[in-house]
Amino acid sequence: MKAFNLSIKNKIATLLFDMENSNVNILSIEVMKELEGILDKLKTAKDIDVLLFKSAKKDIFIAGADISEIKALQDEDVSYEVVRSGQIILRKIALLPFFTVAVIDGACLGGGFELALNCNYRIATENKKTKIGLPEVNLGILPGFGGTQNLKYLIGKQKSIELILGAKLINGKKAQKLKIVDACVPEGYLDFKVKSFVKDILDKNTRKKIDGRRYKENLLERFAPKLIYYFAQKAVIKKTKGKYPAALEVIKLFKETDKLPINEALSFEAFAFARLCVSDISKNLISLYYASERLKHDTFVDKGIKALPIIQTSVIGSGVMGGGIVWLFSNMDRAVRLKARSYESIAASFKHISASYNAIRKRKRLTSREVEHKMDHISYTDSYNGFGNMDFVVEAVVEDKETKQKVYKDLENLIKESCIIASNTSSLSITMLSENMKHPERFIGMHFFNPVSRMPLVEIIAGKQTSDETIATTLKLARDAGKTAVLVGDCAGFLVNRILLPYINECARLFEEGGSIEQIDKTIEDFGMPMGPFILADEVGLDVGYKVSKVLEESYGKRMEVAPILSKLIDMKLLGKKNKKGFYLHNGKEKIVNPSLKSLQFVHKKFDNDEIIDRTMLIMINEAARTLEEGIVENASDLDMAMIMGTGFPPFRGGLLKYADTMGIEKVHLSLLHFEEKYGKRYASSELIVSMAQNKETFYKG
Amino acid sequence: MKERIAIIDGLRTPIGKASGKLKNLQAESLGSFVVSELALRVGIDFESYDEVIIGNVAQPGHAANIARVIALKAGFSEKIPAYTVHRNCASGMEAITSASEKILAGRGEIYMAGGVESMSNIPLMFNKKMSALFEAFFHSKSSLEKLKTLSSFTPSHLKPIIGLMQGLTDPLSGLMMGSTAEILAQDFGISRKEQDEYALLSHQKAETAQKNNIFSKEIAPIIYDASKGLMMSDDDGIRYGQSMAKLSKLKAFFDKKNGTVTAANSSQISDAAAAVVLMSESKAKEMGLTPLGYLREYTYAGLDPARMGLGPAYSTAKLLEMSKVTMNDFELIELNEAFASQVLANFAAFESKKYANQHLGRTEALGSIDTNIFNVNGGSIALGHPVGMTGTRLVIHTLKELRRRDKNLGLATLCIGGGQGASMILEVE
Repeated sequence: MKAFNLSIKNKIATLLFDMENSNVNILSIEVMKELEGILDKLKTAKDIDVLLFKSAKKDIFIAGADISEIKALQDEDVSYEVVRSGQIILRKIALLPFFTVAVIDGACLGGGFELALNCNYRIATENKKTKIGLPEVNLGILPGFGGTQNLKYLIGKQKSIELILGAKLINGKKAQKLKIVDACVPEGYLDFKVKSFVKDILDKNTRKKIDGRRYKENLLERFAPKLIYYFAQKAVIKKTKGKYPAALEVIKLFKETDKLPINEALSFEAFAFARLCVSDISKNLISLYYASERLKHDTFVDKGIKALPIIQTSVIGSGVMGGGIVWLFSNMDRAVRLKARSYESIAASFKHISASYNAIRKRKRLTSREVEHKMDHISYTDSYNGFGNMDFVVEAVVEDKETKQKVYKDLENLIKESCIIASNTSSLSITMLSENMKHPERFIGMHFFNPVSRMPLVEIIAGKQTSDETIATTLKLARDAGKTAVLVGDCAGFLVNRILLPYINECARLFEEGGSIEQIDKTIEDFGMPMGPFILADEVGLDVGYKVSKVLEESYGKRMEVAPILSKLIDMKLLGKKNKKGFYLHNGKEKIVNPSLKSLQFVHKKFDNDEIIDRTMLIMINEAARTLEEGIVENASDLDMAMIMGTGFPPFRGGLLKYADTMGIEKVHLSLLHFEEKYGKRYASSELIVSMAQNKETFYKG
Repeated sequence: MKERIAIIDGLRTPIGKASGKLKNLQAESLGSFVVSELALRVGIDFESYDEVIIGNVAQPGHAANIARVIALKAGFSEKIPAYTVHRNCASGMEAITSASEKILAGRGEIYMAGGVESMSNIPLMFNKKMSALFEAFFHSKSSLEKLKTLSSFTPSHLKPIIGLMQGLTDPLSGLMMGSTAEILAQDFGISRKEQDEYALLSHQKAETAQKNNIFSKEIAPIIYDASKGLMMSDDDGIRYGQSMAKLSKLKAFFDKKNGTVTAANSSQISDAAAAVVLMSESKAKEMGLTPLGYLREYTYAGLDPARMGLGPAYSTAKLLEMSKVTMNDFELIELNEAFASQVLANFAAFESKKYANQHLGRTEALGSIDTNIFNVNGGSIALGHPVGMTGTRLVIHTLKELRRRDKNLGLATLCIGGGQGASMILEVE
């Protein structure tokens, strides 16, 4: 394979990176070897003043190292050797006897950026696709081709740590501001701008000017780097609770190499990389990365089926979900019409929509003008007018079959034939909801999670008669909105709620049996869930949770019998955060365990933390296995992605079923048997678990 | 006109008192709201429109060619062109007649036309002295020179030009619109009491109409403060329980010594937007649409700027001549209430043979105005007069009221600052 083309003209050499049979450039081991050969030859070249690194790929400079090679690394020593030689090869760029310039017009990530960091100069473009950064920590590793050290010298410790820990990808202009690149030019001007830049660096006076603009070490960096590390450490612990070692390794590495010369420091970086890259956490994060990439491109139906164009959208219902979906569509610059029962409820909904936008504006992701423009996309009505041109309507009214079916009946009389009707039901069967429709083929489930603005998952549910075109269109709309969409089967609770609610239910039972709310919430949070089950129940609203639980109980019978305590709480008007009383008493951001719950708890029992984890996780694993068995979801990796995106299941564990694999399926099976004996039939192992345990299989193959 | 223009439907925002609820919505926001809402309700694909034409008087500096800004904000694609028209108080009618002319000339088939005004947002401006100071400052080269320039500053530099007042002043006669109303009151001997009585009637009729939900049929409720979730669905200028006692308390505004025209017997300063969808009658038939009504004929006429309030007499005279319709044929008349004195002056002019002889080139009087069919739901004195928008509102309201009364023929007319009148024959089937 040949990845590079070298040309020399008027003492200006250009090394064009153009990987064969690929849309992208990546630094695989093979490519690195080829590069080394070229660099070794260039070392003695006499007729070169400047060497330009360029990419022939559109919108991509270098996308990074080859992740599959990193994934395959199992041995720490081998890993060390691999990155160490990578470091040495890229270091050869810095040691060339002439000037080197990276011309960055497109994605410049990870190893690609580390290559650019070894050049003397960097030019970026204003191209929207120009993104520069070191996203390694997202994969549980750290930059291993000298990135941590070269960046530190270029822009200082504080900014480097920020960039690496945040896995921030920045555009050309921002990169120039951070002094990562020496120039940022409009991509249309790139050719002659590069020419004049080359002229400038060959002239001593103008070169001095360019060099003079670089970062200069400040007092904090020089005399008190410990402060930088202290605050970085504190922020990481607060954000990740120490569950993600890559970030901590980065800080440790900066500490260790603070005073070291670069060659020694590079070896520390390679050791740190090697330690991280062979860890389970990194492997889990990498396999999730692949799962999410696969999911992004999965069409779920025949590839030839085209999505219909969606211009006019509508949302029926101005509740929390309705308002959230209106926000989402307006934010993706689609015209969206909110239909609600009264203008008062519409006005109330606007308050929330406006608050969502304000939060974004405060983070400076959008300007006031942009927010105003996006809000202009929203129209509203209290009657069914203006529906003739709708392309896509989302129904988000109360979770009640009759009410929903009445909406569909009204809609079918108004909308054009190509218009899709999607229900945001969280539990009702799509096939059942469509039973009286004239055109059930254009009806589909589109289940968003609360809060819509922050939860990345959308479950797409096809009923028996839903057409492939409807699926393809809904899928595209969800993805255009920036969501991760999973096609799941039509069953009560669909995928995520069906698995999650038994877990909440089990926590309620733990409480009934005498467990402490604080201990259960803390244990589960320590396990890595974003919030404890009781806090979650309060957030969602106990009435809402109860309603969905009842639907599940009706469908799945005994094993999903709602814990009696939940109905008692509803009777006591404890609805959660919405009325400030639930498992906790809420006062603004403060909360304390609701003392009135004591009357519901007749015994006290101290549970082992492990038992809490086992009981709650196993009940989910068991149900997840059933959904796989029934074909509700295609494979374990989609299921795990859905649980991570929909419930915040800790990514470092690789997902729920990955966690089961790690535990060992035989152990899962044995524990289930044990719990079944102790707590009853709801723990009866699913057939899939039984057979997997017998055949010593895992959810993830290979 | 060779063919009637079908007005498919019309819609407006509530009219907000200036510096009131709608003050934070710029004219283009009011406009885009009503235009997109109407387009959605009418249901014709956005792509099928040939052009968007919007009337606007104040023409805000941040939204030059406001029609284009409105069209894009409302969701029309970049391909659909748009332009702004200005005929002072008739701008909202001018948009409709401009579109009609294009349709009749075969330049296009489907038009969005309307009028917008945010009088709350008409800016205060620096006066000439201050502008000159700025200019001198920017041209000063040295710091010393700059300091010298600044030292010429006096408090009088800060006396602003009030854009609103400037806009309501006729540049040729130098008269404020209210002063032209004073002239009419003098010409026709209209007393303060008569004017106040007229104003009272306007409020009373509007109050009844609002309570009977007559206006709500033409209004799209608008959220005017999203962050607080505040919505407006009714015009807020109507004073419930208005009385002669309250009206008589006000001082004359334009002629403080001898005047009769007060803020309360003049139209109110307001914010609002309105729009209609237009096409030829035959096009509407072809598309199987049932129009709200039709524009049968229209005209504009000019007169002495100092007596601009009599514009309706001039334009209606011309209109009757063109169309062979008589005043008796109209079953509903909407004449914009710029000022009570101006409406009453028109009453006198319409029924006067002498006036017709001397000013309108007619041997007979235009015909008296039947007050039973006149401004039946009140007018701009009670509702407000967002100048660029009113023309469109009159058309929508006349047609909707004709329908409600099951009548056919209506006259909509208004006076125009600068000395013009506009008149339209509107029809419902």
